[in-house]
Amino acid sequence: MIILFVALPLIVAGVLPLIGKVSRRVVPDLLANAVLLFLLVYAVAVGRPLIGNGPALQKLTWLGETVNLRLALDGFSLLMLLAISLVGLCVTLFSIDYMEHYGAKANYYALLLIMIAGMNGLVLATDLFNLYIFLEVAAVASYSLVAFGLGQDELEAAFKYLLLSVVASAFILVSIAVIFGMTGSLSLPAVARALQDLKAGPVVGICAALFIMGFGLKAALVPFHAWLPDAHPSAPAPISAVLSGLLIKVSGVYALTRVFLNVFGLTPALSNVLMSLGTVSLVVAAFLALGQKDIKRMLAYSSISQVGYIVLGIGLGTPLGIAGGLFHLFNHALAKGLLFLTSGSIQQATGTRNLDEMGGLAKRMPFTAATNLIGSLSIAGVPPLNGFWSKLLIIMALIQAGHPVFALIAVLASVLTLWYYLLIQRKAFFGKLNERWAAVKEAPFWMTASTVLLASLCVGVGLFFSVTIKSWIQPAAGVLAEGVQAVIRSWGL
Amino acid sequence: MIVQTALLIGMVLFSVLAIFLKDLIRAAISLAVASLLLGIIFFRMGASYAGVFEISVVAGLITVLFILTIALTNTGEEVRESRLANVVFPLFFAVFVVIDALVMKGLLQKIPALPSGPETGTFGEVLWKGRTLDLVGQIAVILAGVFSVLALFRKRDKHD
Amino acid sequence: MTNTWYLYLFFSAGLVFAGLYALLSKRNLIRLFIAIEVISKGVSLLLLATGFAKGNVLVAQALVVTFIVVEVSLVATALAIIINIYRHTKSLDVRKLARLKG
Repeated sequence: MIILFVALPLIVAGVLPLIGKVSRRVVPDLLANAVLLFLLVYAVAVGRPLIGNGPALQKLTWLGETVNLRLALDGFSLLMLLAISLVGLCVTLFSIDYMEHYGAKANYYALLLIMIAGMNGLVLATDLFNLYIFLEVAAVASYSLVAFGLGQDELEAAFKYLLLSVVASAFILVSIAVIFGMTGSLSLPAVARALQDLKAGPVVGICAALFIMGFGLKAALVPFHAWLPDAHPSAPAPISAVLSGLLIKVSGVYALTRVFLNVFGLTPALSNVLMSLGTVSLVVAAFLALGQKDIKRMLAYSSISQVGYIVLGIGLGTPLGIAGGLFHLFNHALAKGLLFLTSGSIQQATGTRNLDEMGGLAKRMPFTAATNLIGSLSIAGVPPLNGFWSKLLIIMALIQAGHPVFALIAVLASVLTLWYYLLIQRKAFFGKLNERWAAVKEAPFWMTASTVLLASLCVGVGLFFSVTIKSWIQPAAGVLAEGVQAVIRSWGL
Repeated sequence: MIVQTALLIGMVLFSVLAIFLKDLIRAAISLAVASLLLGIIFFRMGASYAGVFEISVVAGLITVLFILTIALTNTGEEVRESRLANVVFPLFFAVFVVIDALVMKGLLQKIPALPSGPETGTFGEVLWKGRTLDLVGQIAVILAGVFSVLALFRKRDKHD
Repeated sequence: MTNTWYLYLFFSAGLVFAGLYALLSKRNLIRLFIAIEVISKGVSLLLLATGFAKGNVLVAQALVVTFIVVEVSLVATALAIIINIYRHTKSLDVRKLARLKG
């Protein structure tokens, strides 16, 4: 019952505010976390066997008549679902304590669940317009979640985010309309087949360009990244974690990859464009991250940079490159989610996000310091953590495919990344304890627990990387590497 | 065809007016008229349901929301717009229209299209049975909108 | 594609251009959002015109109806944010919102 991934969060979201009126304290937290835990278990336990023999399709009957509710779960979708549930669960755990002083928790959980439902629907969609709708569902939920604190900075960031995001959606829709006009259909397999038959070079190029502008903005690729450094820091920390860790990847990278690799087919020109965009993001954002004083802003620029890595790997198009890119997507979701959560712990304990004002927090907040260290090292690509393996795969793939320059740039950017992350660690956690923080305590239980969980995953995935790659990444990469055939053949609807 | 083109020109005109009119209420009403014209255009294309939706929702509901917001944010102090941008716009627009027309003429017959099969069923069947997942999406987005408004207008006793 | 489709594409492009121009040059928050509405009109016109050109008016209508519903949610959220911004800054000028560096 793949539909559960979309239906369950939606139904609970609809009911939550009503329940929230009755029981303010425990029940909303319990419900939200239960839903995400269920989705995670479902994805792992049921999802894996389901895709054993090719994608699992679902057609539903409603009251005896077949309705067109077509969802497809293949390796790529399953990987995304896993990432969404994992990071989502940790975020809801974290929110139990963190969102206390914001008020309207039931409402918050409802919006978060709607965003999760939207993202799940996006990765399961088999139809271009369905993909667009769920993209919008997640986006509309995210606008108000960014503005949730109702402070001036948050509102400003949310408004600018909204404006840019709506323009991106418009571009995506224009492209969908043109594709509909050319092929007469909206379902991914039919469009893929039709585009193969049509061979309409320049117009497909225009559609691709529109998609790159639209999805690229959602993914915050340079030069479409301007909204992210404002939106992610201003949002409440768990929302920043979901936005940076999940939303930009699901509505940006997943959609881009699915459309370009499985529907359009990755031509050399397209591959070059993607690789260039990825590299530019990688380098520019890494430099921009250096000068930041605000810890969340630095993390936001780092997200842009790492998404560049992911797009570079996937844009390369070779099986190794795709596998590296997807593995990095997964790892970054875990690690960046972790880092934003720990920054939330810091912000709650000290009231500031300014690195210059912090110092020596490790003595007072050992768990937060340790998990932050693990997250930082993971993104910087230090062995044996998970980030190291995914970056290694991408670099190896680049060298193998004959792009030594790109590989060199990637390595150098990695070093830069390591540099500014260690800077955060030193400024915030190590060094002399600033007297202002002499009385701070470690973060409350659930906040600490969720960060410890994510950190353990980073370590675990790093140590057991070959198992992870074989069970989760290979199926996903396989689907993408097959290109257009994967969708035409097995989603044959 | 002539009528359709006239309606289209009218709609674009009123939309441009909506952006450039100084008084916000007049701008909102101009937008409503543009929506009305768009609805009629939809009708004449044979899309009666879309036309009805466009007129009742966009020309009706959204206009009301706009006027509500304008009333609630009535400063008395106007936001001064850039004079230069207003003056330069007709020029840019004219240039764009010319380029647009040339591109369209160049593209005529150039975009390949597969012939589409005949359409079956009524609108109801197409919407409810053909695009059911869209309906799920609609419910989700309506819920998102409702909860957003509730969250953004909640009573605050503490600032973050 | 039939010739009438290009006619509709022509007007749709004009609408999108006008909306984008306004987004770049206007300062009043509400006017910025009116520009978004204009862009949405352009897109829905294009969607329906495509369906009309293919003879698939019913499917196109379903798409446009869904798009309009999404648009309504969007308008509600955006206007709620604008009203909140007004409560903070007592102004609708987007230049006053330049506290974040972006």
